[in-house]
Amino acid sequence: QTHLTEHDEQPLRDYAEALDMWTTFQTKTQTLSQSLSSQLRLILTPTQSTKLSGSFRTGKRLNIKKIIPYIASSYKRDKIWMRRAIPSKRAYQILLCVDDSSSMSDGNRSSSGRLALESLVMVARALTVLEAGQIGVLGFGTDVFVAHALTDPAPTSPHAGARLLQRFRFAQDTTDMVRLLRTTIDHFRDARLVQAAAPGGDELWQLALVMSDGLVQSRDHARLRPLLREAMEQRVMVVFIVMDDARDDARGHSVLELKEARFGQDGVPVIHRYLDSFPFPYYLIVHHLDDLPGALAALLRTWFAEVNS
Amino acid sequence: MDESMTDAPGAQVKVTFTTTEADLQLPETKRQLLVPADIRRYGLSRVLNSESMLDTGSIPFDFLVNGHFLRTSLEDYLTSNGLSLETNLTLQYVRSLIPPVYEASF
Ligand SMILES: [Mg+2]
Repeated sequence: QTHLTEHDEQPLRDYAEALDMWTTFQTKTQTLSQSLSSQLRLILTPTQSTKLSGSFRTGKRLNIKKIIPYIASSYKRDKIWMRRAIPSKRAYQILLCVDDSSSMSDGNRSSSGRLALESLVMVARALTVLEAGQIGVLGFGTDVFVAHALTDPAPTSPHAGARLLQRFRFAQDTTDMVRLLRTTIDHFRDARLVQAAAPGGDELWQLALVMSDGLVQSRDHARLRPLLREAMEQRVMVVFIVMDDARDDARGHSVLELKEARFGQDGVPVIHRYLDSFPFPYYLIVHHLDDLPGALAALLRTWFAEVNS
Repeated sequence: MDESMTDAPGAQVKVTFTTTEADLQLPETKRQLLVPADIRRYGLSRVLNSESMLDTGSIPFDFLVNGHFLRTSLEDYLTSNGLSLETNLTLQYVRSLIPPVYEASF
């Protein structure tokens, strides 16, 4: 069983500061949040029903019960076809996983932490408005913690929002993505069992959005691949959103440009592009908050098209 | 994907190179780099001199980190200063004033 840290183990961000951040971010991201929720509504809400019903002159499948009356009426009562009529109910469980490691912090001259929290507020608000399903928030670094459980009521009040942001201090001194994925898969498996027992929990979609600067020890890349395969087998979609530091004074700091040096057996350094070994099949790079709604919607649209085909 | 990338490397640290030497400036896109955490002055010199970086052959460099010359591995520097591998270290490189000596480790 994966370890989740207890709620009180780690020091919290100051409450007044977190409250101020929540209200500031919410105001700042309001328009983007609305844009995201209207784009997601089109994608997440099923437009095609899976159930067939009704009596029509044309349709998808014959209604067997109507065949005898049809013949008996000398082929006059010809509304013998069924159509897709009732849109099936889709349920979502969405985990927003925010990197709480210190590479994200101001102290490390990175604005990724702030961008991640702004994105968290924006995406959480958009999903809450959509009423798409359950939303949870995990933080990760050395450990994984639950900042907001899937079963908790949506954080709509400034107080609930502040309590959420208080958990993120960007002070964890490693970025254990392997542990995050292991925990996410296990968490979703447990949540699926609970949801399956509930009425109407037949079509459940599970989605994890990882918000991080994308800096993972390269030696972990190979260990992440089997976990990403396992997530796919469990029908858990993992989207990696790279919070890229793109302030004007941080030119050349983009993870897109980042290289890594390794020494071969002969001691000769070889330089590779860091992202070439990045193991996440679905990732997007966000330089500015404004990029996120469109990019995320486009990626989810592609993914839904793939799984539905 | 590059096959040679699949060998599991050791721990890495992200560094940012700076210099005041006008003739040895790196382009902005090459200033940040992930390097092995056990790298030392000699290894860093080899990286900087390499074709993909300054392409300067074999200029011996010294590295200043927070105003002090780096005399240990980056990992040891971080540990002795209470810093983690999450730290983005700024390394200022200067032409080495120390006469070149044979160094087996890098
Ligand atoms: Mg990190």
